[in-house]
Amino acid sequence: MLTVNSIDVAYDQVQVLYQLSLSVERGEILCLLGRNGAGKTTTLKSIMGLLPLRTGSIDLDGESLSDLAPHHIPGKGVAYVPQGRRLFSELSVQQNMEIGLMASGSGKETREYALSLFPRLRERLKQRAETLSGGEQQMLAMARAICTKPQVILLDEPTEGLQPSMTSLIRDVIIEMKQQKVAVILVEQHVDAVLSIADRVTFIEHGVDAETVAASALLNDHSLVQKYLGV
Amino acid sequence: MDFGPYLFVASLEGAITAAVLALTAVGLSIVFGIMRVVNVAHGEFYMLGAVLAWWITSMIAGHPALGFWVAIVAAPLLVGALAVLCDRFILNKVNYDPERTIVATIGLLYVIQQTTLMTFGPEARPVQAPFNERIALPWFEYGESGFQMIWPWGLSTTTYKLFVIVAAIIVLLVLWWVMTRTRIGLIMRATQLDQEMAQAHGIAVNKVYALVFGLGAALAALGAVLVVPIQQAYYLMGSDPLLLSFIVVIIGGLGSVLGTVVAAVLIGMSDGIISVFFTPTLAKILATLLVAFVLVFKPNGLFGKSRE
Repeated sequence: MLTVNSIDVAYDQVQVLYQLSLSVERGEILCLLGRNGAGKTTTLKSIMGLLPLRTGSIDLDGESLSDLAPHHIPGKGVAYVPQGRRLFSELSVQQNMEIGLMASGSGKETREYALSLFPRLRERLKQRAETLSGGEQQMLAMARAICTKPQVILLDEPTEGLQPSMTSLIRDVIIEMKQQKVAVILVEQHVDAVLSIADRVTFIEHGVDAETVAASALLNDHSLVQKYLGV
Repeated sequence: MDFGPYLFVASLEGAITAAVLALTAVGLSIVFGIMRVVNVAHGEFYMLGAVLAWWITSMIAGHPALGFWVAIVAAPLLVGALAVLCDRFILNKVNYDPERTIVATIGLLYVIQQTTLMTFGPEARPVQAPFNERIALPWFEYGESGFQMIWPWGLSTTTYKLFVIVAAIIVLLVLWWVMTRTRIGLIMRATQLDQEMAQAHGIAVNKVYALVFGLGAALAALGAVLVVPIQQAYYLMGSDPLLLSFIVVIIGGLGSVLGTVVAAVLIGMSDGIISVFFTPTLAKILATLLVAFVLVFKPNGLFGKSRE
């Protein structure tokens, strides 16, 4: 289980997260919802060790991640699919996946598993990442993360700017992750799409975990969504 | 000697300058490309390579070739190791901040230069080439009986000068192979493209930086070891290669290894040819003017990409 315990995080002098806490179990999908600038991406980056904690801690199965250098965190089983994909643009599809495989020390089986989830990438293995379509780039970003054999996967707006068929594929892969007992933390803007697959939802407001509820509770009651997102 | 053969000799001299410059500038280019560090002390790593080559060859008795072959391996390794220490204890401590690393490497430049002056002295010192046979070169002329091969007086080079060119080409090809075909090359390229994402995928970026800084310095030192039997080891010899390397890296495109090699050939050849026909100073003036034109009309260099 991944637990985030009362973390304070700042960009230089500007504090963004205030005593934020959350937790996610294996095989669970936790969705983070909040307005732009609420601190959702900052939360994911903090879990990855890319931003230092001022206070608080982050643990995975009782082992502290907050004491580790950022490059050790993927090796502990935490994968990150950032907003905007951020692929290694001049490297090929195969090389991007190779970088993911290096993090886990895994080989052909993991690569084949990732390619089975995104068969279109198999036809593009030698192609440079920057030449892929937006949807294919998102597939590659997720395949690269899956190559690290994660126990926890952090997804930052994975369906942003994608056409419906691609959104549906990404959604299916997230459900597959859940079935594989991977813990998923999902940041999304499409509330309706999220509620049907998430187990719980944490609303983040002004850097604080304002409220956590079961996703099923929000399906028929939009008052919380309206309160925190204004939609 | 006629103009044609004279130009050929000048081109050969230019090719030697280009070969050494390509090694030195590629070192500077990979350091900037991957670490975003402008290493003002790069010329001093070059100078250290030459000085260490002299020291190693003077310490080893026997045939001069033995000392040279030891130096060509040991000097780049020693300079590379020193650069790794500089990275760990200086650049890493200032968090690779662009402004602070410039100031730090300026400081490093003076520390290395003055320490060398205090220990090595102000004299220029020669290193004997491991082999240096003169080779007469043929020239072709169209005469009354058609094309004929002649041997103009003075049209010659040495085996060692040809070796410098071949060695530089081999080292650059090996570097290209490492960067494009090996796992460590893949890690370096990923770090160059997105340092934060590299970390998020388990790459120890600080270790990559140390390796790259060491490799950049070792390439400069290797260039110096190759050239020191032709020139001499001298504690102020780092300034010209530093200037020319910056010129080459800017013309080629910041961080582009291919662009750096192309620009090194362009600048090295023109430097060699202009130096033979006119003066070395004029060659530097023209190269600096070329940089000014590139910065005005193609700010990202010949092969550089714009950075957001």
